Amino acid sequence: MECDDCVRRLDQLIDRELSGLELEEVQHHLDGCGDCTKRYKFEEGLKRLVKVSCEQGHAPAELRERLRQILR
Amino acid sequence: MAVAAYAQIDWMPMTTVPDGQDAFAAEAITHLDALYRGALRLTRDPDQAQDLVQDAYARALRYQHSYQAGTNMKAWLFAIMRNLFWDRFQKGRPPALSIEDVGEFSLYDRMRDGVTEEGPEDTVLDRIAAGEVVEAIEKLSPLHREVVLLVDVEGFAYKDAAQILGVPIGTVMSRLHRARQHLQKSLYDYAVESGIVPGMGRSA
Repeated sequence: MECDDCVRRLDQLIDRELSGLELEEVQHHLDGCGDCTKRYKFEEGLKRLVKVSCEQGHAPAELRERLRQILR
Repeated sequence: MAVAAYAQIDWMPMTTVPDGQDAFAAEAITHLDALYRGALRLTRDPDQAQDLVQDAYARALRYQHSYQAGTNMKAWLFAIMRNLFWDRFQKGRPPALSIEDVGEFSLYDRMRDGVTEEGPEDTVLDRIAAGEVVEAIEKLSPLHREVVLLVDVEGFAYKDAAQILGVPIGTVMSRLHRARQHLQKSLYDYAVESGIVPGMGRSA
């Protein structure tokens, strides 16, 4: 596998959407390629940053109470 | 026997409906924080977010018979909320094609060119504040925003995201890729403005 093929699959890799032979091939390439590994870690870190940034805060208490009434 | 069987059939719904409803409501409410945060990202307004979530739950309750117990309730609720968002807050169906294109843009490549000693993966992400990321997400077009929300924030698999959005998996993948490039471009602009990385070409 070449770097281009690996980079094309990075979205799927960080989203855990690769499996089987394709996943093995990408992992094998990453084992031997520092550039792609750095890129992969960066993309993965960015995905995590997006998740963490958006996971802060809770639904307002009054909304929760209104929904309890609706769902009763 | 026939009477007993009839009585049983007649009697079943009266007990199963309330029990089923309790279980439904109990599970539905566990997804409230996620739905509210999603609604905040979609509407970008706390009042509209509350309205959207409340309407989504009301609709979910009305259509709970179409929810199959044991399947992904969170995905089902997000689908309801997302459709309501487009019906009500965007006034119509999502456009078939997304808007302007930043072209191939890689934050990693820009960072690598701008940061010399350490790798960009070690330095830059740590310096970007959560608020900036949220702002960058809210700057995305709604079509891009919702796919980032589903896959990156909520961690839905492509197939679940595809079902929620009512598009093929390939569309989820291409939209997500575009969305990430827009997001990376915004974060890059922020990083340059705030001096996290030197601007390329202009300030040098």
